[in-house]
Amino acid sequence: MPSPASALAIDAREVAKTFRSGWLRPRETAALRGATLAVPRGAIVGLLGPNGAGKTTFLSILATLLIPDRGTVRVLGLDVVRDSMALRRRLNMASGRPSFLWSLRVAEIVAFYGRLYGLSGAALRARVDALIEQYELTPYRRVPYSELSTGLKQRVALAKSLVNDPELLFLDEPTLGLDPDVSMRVRAHIAALRRERGVTILLTTHYMREAEELCDEVAFIKAGRILDAGTPDELKRRIGLGDVIALRLEPAAPAWLAEAPGVLRCASADGWTKCTVDDAEKRLPDLLRQLFAEGVTVRNVRVREPELEEVFVELAR
Amino acid sequence: MSWRADLLAVWAVVVRNALMASRNVFFFFELLFWPIVGVVSIGLMTKFLGITPAQASFVLIGTIALSVVNVCQLEVAYAVLMDVWSKSIKHQFLAPIGIRHLTVGSWVVGMVRGSLLFTLLAVLAWWAFDFRVLAAGGGAVGLFLFGCFLNAWIVGVFVCALITLFGNRAEAFAWASVNLVLVLAGIYYPVSVLPEPAATLARAIPLTYFLDAYRSHFGFASEFAAPIATGLALSVVYAVVAHLAFYASVQRARRTGLLLKMSE
Ligand SMILES: Nc1ncnc2c1ncn2[C@@H]1O[C@H](COP(=O)(O)OP(=O)(O)O)[C@@H](O)[C@H]1O
Ligand SMILES: [Mg+2]
Repeated sequence: MPSPASALAIDAREVAKTFRSGWLRPRETAALRGATLAVPRGAIVGLLGPNGAGKTTFLSILATLLIPDRGTVRVLGLDVVRDSMALRRRLNMASGRPSFLWSLRVAEIVAFYGRLYGLSGAALRARVDALIEQYELTPYRRVPYSELSTGLKQRVALAKSLVNDPELLFLDEPTLGLDPDVSMRVRAHIAALRRERGVTILLTTHYMREAEELCDEVAFIKAGRILDAGTPDELKRRIGLGDVIALRLEPAAPAWLAEAPGVLRCASADGWTKCTVDDAEKRLPDLLRQLFAEGVTVRNVRVREPELEEVFVELAR
Repeated sequence: MSWRADLLAVWAVVVRNALMASRNVFFFFELLFWPIVGVVSIGLMTKFLGITPAQASFVLIGTIALSVVNVCQLEVAYAVLMDVWSKSIKHQFLAPIGIRHLTVGSWVVGMVRGSLLFTLLAVLAWWAFDFRVLAAGGGAVGLFLFGCFLNAWIVGVFVCALITLFGNRAEAFAWASVNLVLVLAGIYYPVSVLPEPAATLARAIPLTYFLDAYRSHFGFASEFAAPIATGLALSVVYAVVAHLAFYASVQRARRTGLLLKMSE
């Protein structure tokens, strides 16, 4: 029975989790304090936040590894606590700091988890071969896990996480500690997963560029709360960071410039007039036309979009 | 879950444990070195003390049983222990399987290793000390081994429960538990020599009954009315309790986050 919520792969509301540790002197860590997030099916969504923000905790709850204290969490239309078994068949997870049994070989690791997800015989062999091939692990299929480099281990983790052909994939800092060229390849693999298999992906990262490059939507998390979520453009606009149009004008900038429609603020320095506007593509033609009409010469124009990083700094304030 | 998926999940664990066992030198020591040292030293001690052949067979049966239970129980504990060591435990609890698949799969490998060890020790005891385990007949040997394996499963699952409850710190239980069995189950003496309340505890341990039944074939009058039936009944009760304890412990670990902590 399709429900309106079925368009969402993840519908998490007011999720709270407090860790209690220590037997003698108990300590409490409120890792999540009412986090709310919706992830549409087929999207790549990035959960961005500093260390300790609660990213891994949130992912673990969504993946049924951790039971939340409060809140309702529906994943693929199922309740993460009540329907956890059914859900586990349809999702998987990989972390950027992977670990598997040290003396198992690459192909054995993928096959072990394949069997746990119900694969056997020719189907299992085909899946293992395909994944090993896809993640360029063929030369390493007989190498024990403990002898692999970090980048190779990450690829094994990715291969394992696809062994059940999941509809939903959680990636916890998938490019952590990788060389730039390797992490670029991992990002390409992630993008291909959605493109080729339509997998919904929720990934965490603290690299803004990664999120901007990969994700349709991003959610900022800090101290256990989702501060804001949306497409990168939406977020930038909502926070009013706007695009910056820098102009070199002759003579100096006219006074009306700061009051023109869509202009948030203007400042002049070093011969440049920097106007922050809500949307550069929309405002620039009008501004240029008006300046031209008034006989102001525009010697140079530069347009710069705000970085996601700036959005985060603004939100975290 | 279909029975086919059940079997597959168990088989996955069987393959994994067998592969790990075949690649670790420590497993070699567990399987061969210590048990052989045990049987040889106990056997020599019986010669030195000049006890009767019946008494010698009594303690040899005890030490063989202890080795078999220990090897099999360790293997069951490896269901979680190896993943705790390699920090990969979360992956098995992310998969759509139950704890029964983990424990039964490991148990199967444990029984294979236990049977291998038993055969080896039986040959050794026959060759070095002229003690024939088969003198009791195949059926008696089979029941005795099965009793050892049942006990191993129970102890191993309790160890799994303790590890998922307390984390790595609890791994000592995996090696300590065998000593508890040693003292209480009458490995080197009949439980009747135990003072109270240890004697009562001993009567609560299923292995006590399987040992008793097997030894009755070597000239030791049984201390119990129906040792096999009692041992089996007790085993079933403990098996259920151990399974529930492990299940509760995993659920708790999902709540406290220990499952994640053991994976990072
Ligand atoms: N299993 C756990 N037990 C106790 N505390 C935890 C556990 N996991 C995370 N925490 C604590 O919860 C907070 C959030 O952690 P985490 O979700 O791992 O953050 P992030 O992934 O964003 O770095 C941190 O303060 C961390 O120390
Ligand atoms: Mg994290």
